[in-house]
Amino acid sequence: MTPAVGDQIPEWVMEHVSAQRMRTMAALLRDPNPLHWDRDAVAALPLELGQRTINQGPLGLSYMVNMLHAWAGPSCIRRIVMRFPQVVLDAEYVVARGEVMALREGPEEQLAECRIWLEHSERGVLLEGSAVVAVPNLA
Amino acid sequence: MTDYSVPGESVITGLTGHRFPGGSYTVEHWENALLTECTGAELLPNDMVHPVALFHMPIFGAGTSIAEMFALGQAESDLSIMIESYDWEIFIPLKEEICYSISGEISSAERRNSAQLNVHDRIQFRFEIHNPEKIIAARSTITWLYTRNTL
Repeated sequence: MTPAVGDQIPEWVMEHVSAQRMRTMAALLRDPNPLHWDRDAVAALPLELGQRTINQGPLGLSYMVNMLHAWAGPSCIRRIVMRFPQVVLDAEYVVARGEVMALREGPEEQLAECRIWLEHSERGVLLEGSAVVAVPNLA
Repeated sequence: MTDYSVPGESVITGLTGHRFPGGSYTVEHWENALLTECTGAELLPNDMVHPVALFHMPIFGAGTSIAEMFALGQAESDLSIMIESYDWEIFIPLKEEICYSISGEISSAERRNSAQLNVHDRIQFRFEIHNPEKIIAARSTITWLYTRNTL
């Protein structure tokens, strides 16, 4: 891999956001928030989300991590910052995408500064942020 | 909608500098396997922990919990918290079965007012993870918005 500014990072697809995985995650995180495991609690909100559970923020972020790992290796991430403009819902098909915005030399490695986001075909960008990723040196 | 009593601004700003007890955390193989499966990925090589652990590992290791973090900001309910951002810095990949030392604090707490959320509180938590050689391995910064009287 020899990245260049403007390169698109190969997309990573989560074909079906799983309500069962949210329940497992809620247990591991000891997260009491019913939005992650109780569809009735979500339906009762004045947000018109229907009978769906809401994915934990870290899980949505993990799709971005998986995309970066698949692109640049399992120890490539130096920093990842994520914001959450929209929720991710169970049963959704979402795609992690990214773009190389800059390249610079770190103390011991070449670093790519990337814009990253999670996309839904109808609802648009659900998560957005940035990442700093170690990439093979171009020299 | 239930009317809640909004905590005084000084109560919120006074949270800045609050330190959690601190402690340690070891991600065992079973936990890493379940976490990784939840992300839709395969286990990482060489016993590496999936970075998704950077959310809960520092919270528990610092001696707190999601529930306590909600309570410190006097969240009106579990539903009233919004995520502003998660910021994970990784200096050394985390490994399974390694006991990491963890410290944590509230790095900032402030009252805000916006057209979208009206009066709300922005609270930022910062956690640091050190390996057994006392070298920093990772830092996690969680920024939550405590909305008031919105749900």
